[in-house]
Amino acid sequence: MNFFQNRYALIIILLLISLLTACQPEGTRQKMRIGYMNCNSEEETLKRFYPLTSYLSQKLGVDFELMPVDTQDFSERFAAGEFEFTHTNSLVYLIMHEESQLQLLATEKRGRYGSYTSGSIISRKGSGIKTLADLKGKRMVFGPQLAPSGFLAQYDTMLQGGIDPEKDIAYYAIPAGSFKHEKVVYGVYFGQYDVGTAPSLDLELMTGAGKITADDFNIVAESPIIPYCTFGASKDLDPTLVENFRKALVELTEKDVVSYQGEELKVLASAWIDGYETLEDSDYDLLRAMAKRANMPPYQEF
Amino acid sequence: MARRDRFDILTGGGLLVCVLAVVFLLMVGQEKNTSAAALDKAMEQQIAYQARIEFLHNLYQPVEDLRLAGQASEALLKLDELARHYPQEAHGEILQAEILLERGAIKESIDHYVRAVRLNGDYVDKASPLTRRSGIQQLVDLRLPEFAARTRKNPQSLALQNTLTGLYYLQSRLSGGCE
Amino acid sequence: MLVLWGNPQNSGICVSCFLENSAGALGLHDNPRMQYLRPELVGFVLGAVVAAFLGREFKSRGGSAPLPRLFAGIFLIVGCAVFIGCPIKMFFRFMAGDLTTLSGIAGLVIGVWLGLKGLAAGVHIGGSKQKPDGAGIWVPLGFLLLLAFILWPPGFILQSTRGSAAQSAPVLIALAVGLFLGVLAQRSRFCVTGSIRDGLLMGYRAPLFWGFLIFLVSGLVTSLATGQFHLGFYGQPGAHLDMLWGFLGMLLVGLISVLLGGCPFRQLIKSGEGDADAGLIVIGMFIGAGLVQSWQIAGTTAGVGLYGKVAVMVGLIFVLGNMLFYRERIG
Repeated sequence: MNFFQNRYALIIILLLISLLTACQPEGTRQKMRIGYMNCNSEEETLKRFYPLTSYLSQKLGVDFELMPVDTQDFSERFAAGEFEFTHTNSLVYLIMHEESQLQLLATEKRGRYGSYTSGSIISRKGSGIKTLADLKGKRMVFGPQLAPSGFLAQYDTMLQGGIDPEKDIAYYAIPAGSFKHEKVVYGVYFGQYDVGTAPSLDLELMTGAGKITADDFNIVAESPIIPYCTFGASKDLDPTLVENFRKALVELTEKDVVSYQGEELKVLASAWIDGYETLEDSDYDLLRAMAKRANMPPYQEF
Repeated sequence: MARRDRFDILTGGGLLVCVLAVVFLLMVGQEKNTSAAALDKAMEQQIAYQARIEFLHNLYQPVEDLRLAGQASEALLKLDELARHYPQEAHGEILQAEILLERGAIKESIDHYVRAVRLNGDYVDKASPLTRRSGIQQLVDLRLPEFAARTRKNPQSLALQNTLTGLYYLQSRLSGGCE
Repeated sequence: MLVLWGNPQNSGICVSCFLENSAGALGLHDNPRMQYLRPELVGFVLGAVVAAFLGREFKSRGGSAPLPRLFAGIFLIVGCAVFIGCPIKMFFRFMAGDLTTLSGIAGLVIGVWLGLKGLAAGVHIGGSKQKPDGAGIWVPLGFLLLLAFILWPPGFILQSTRGSAAQSAPVLIALAVGLFLGVLAQRSRFCVTGSIRDGLLMGYRAPLFWGFLIFLVSGLVTSLATGQFHLGFYGQPGAHLDMLWGFLGMLLVGLISVLLGGCPFRQLIKSGEGDADAGLIVIGMFIGAGLVQSWQIAGTTAGVGLYGKVAVMVGLIFVLGNMLFYRERIG
């Protein structure tokens, strides 16, 4: 009898031990870092992407650390191994894909074009600037230089339309500091510049929010659609982890929540995202062609 | 069978009077109908429908004008502006779908077509003044085999599955049947 | 053939769709795409009246469990509307290659089987008694009134100019077909759920079952001959892929039909024979037809909405509850 009792006790103890070891508490799990490109400010990045990072940690059983990174430093810090996963605009993804063989994970969906976006060239209504030809000799404001839908797409559209931004316009500027895209829109609206380049998504959101109206601007041109913000993974990572990361992103729905300081936060809504989608790397070929024509990284030639 | 008594005769007589009165009313009462309002519900419904069509045409005319002028981007912004005042209006969805299709955003265009048809079946009717049947038919004929093949190749993709479901929905609505 | 003459695709005959259309025409719901007083529906009942009188089978009877019957009529249409179609239409859809109907067929057969189990266990919702009074003439008279509304439409009758209710065979053809089918159904006692019931009880020896098989084969031949056959799950006219709810909807229809002695079509025919109990079910079906549209209970190609799902569950609660209340226990 004692023998049986002892054997059952042993089994129970072994079961308990195995259960305890199977369940890794936070802090003892694998640690990894996700670099998020700052759109406007570090504070905004932290606020937007904390719930998403927390969701990924929960889903994958990995302690992910959120690292806000400035656009111009991104590829360099990634190459230096400061973080394993990346969240950037599609042009920065291209640069890292070329330079460090960054793997494509998933593309973000936001606005009317879903996982794609485009760039618009705008002028104030009543300015008489309605076509690309009208841009000659005008004062222009561009978005940040590594912004695919705030700079590259419009730069390429102008080149394709026979306007060389380096020669044909009076001058062009790029706003300093944060919130550059809104500064472009308001710079044109208040007449500081004749023409500006704004992401079509920003125009859509500002119109939807009632900040501007459709009658405030002429859309001089809109670029073809190109992939939007992109998640990538270092080439050296465990393929299973990478696949699980991708799956966790594409399976995200608007109902998914995480706890943050006693509050339940909606992951997608907090990050201003509609969802994620898997695109092929070949879907970025149009963007590659634009970068080549505009002599932009990663294909820049001096 | 029991013999008819006076009560039966009186009741039967009353019944006959009532029947004759109804027949008389139906035959000659139409002209003398003192009802306050004319009763032609089918016509009233038609008038309300025509007024709605007219209203939609006027409301979305600026969008159509911009499209005709080749200014699709401005037309989309105009739609965003109208959507603030008339969210869930199927006509805005259908116009959005058409412009997005022209811009090459196929999946998003299909989403908007589905939303529009779910909100208002007139867009797949053959005879409706709002009909977009031929455009939707073309979209389904062209894109359904393509998305079915892409989904077979990539069965994990929820986005592709959603688009394919949307195309099947449109195909089903085009096939007709009861609603 | 009615589809070729103008009725909606796969809806040559559909009692629940016709009832929803007719309820709309009478102003019982406000869906402007579902309002048309279907002549076929009136033809079914009046055809049955004619056949019953000629065969000396018109007998005024009724008087059992009136309220349960009224509500059962409502839930019959709830089940049909959630599935999108009555049992007849379901089999026509199946014979036109619509594989989404498989769930409904399974639901209907299981519903009939469960109903049979109930009957065997002593569930008995009261039997009709022959009445010396004229209770059985009121539903036929009501349909005579509807015939007058079709021939001389008064101002309050609504008629869709778009949507599936705007698709219709010419009035006189539809009426003639309805009358013919009404006569035929009254003489043959045709009933979809009755055929399944007899098939389950007697196998191939059941004459109704053979009649039903002939109906299926003729449906298949017609769809093949007229080019309406399209095999598959997707892109089917007036169908959805919410299989579970299609199954439950038809299970509800099968269960009610067996317990109350007939599918929706059979109830119409019986009401034309002077059966006031069936007449009450028909009135319930009209009320249900209005409600399923007004309360968004009806399924659509996009699927079954929340209210449809809730209504089916309430219907099942109603039937199962009544199976307990009306069970005659021995000993």
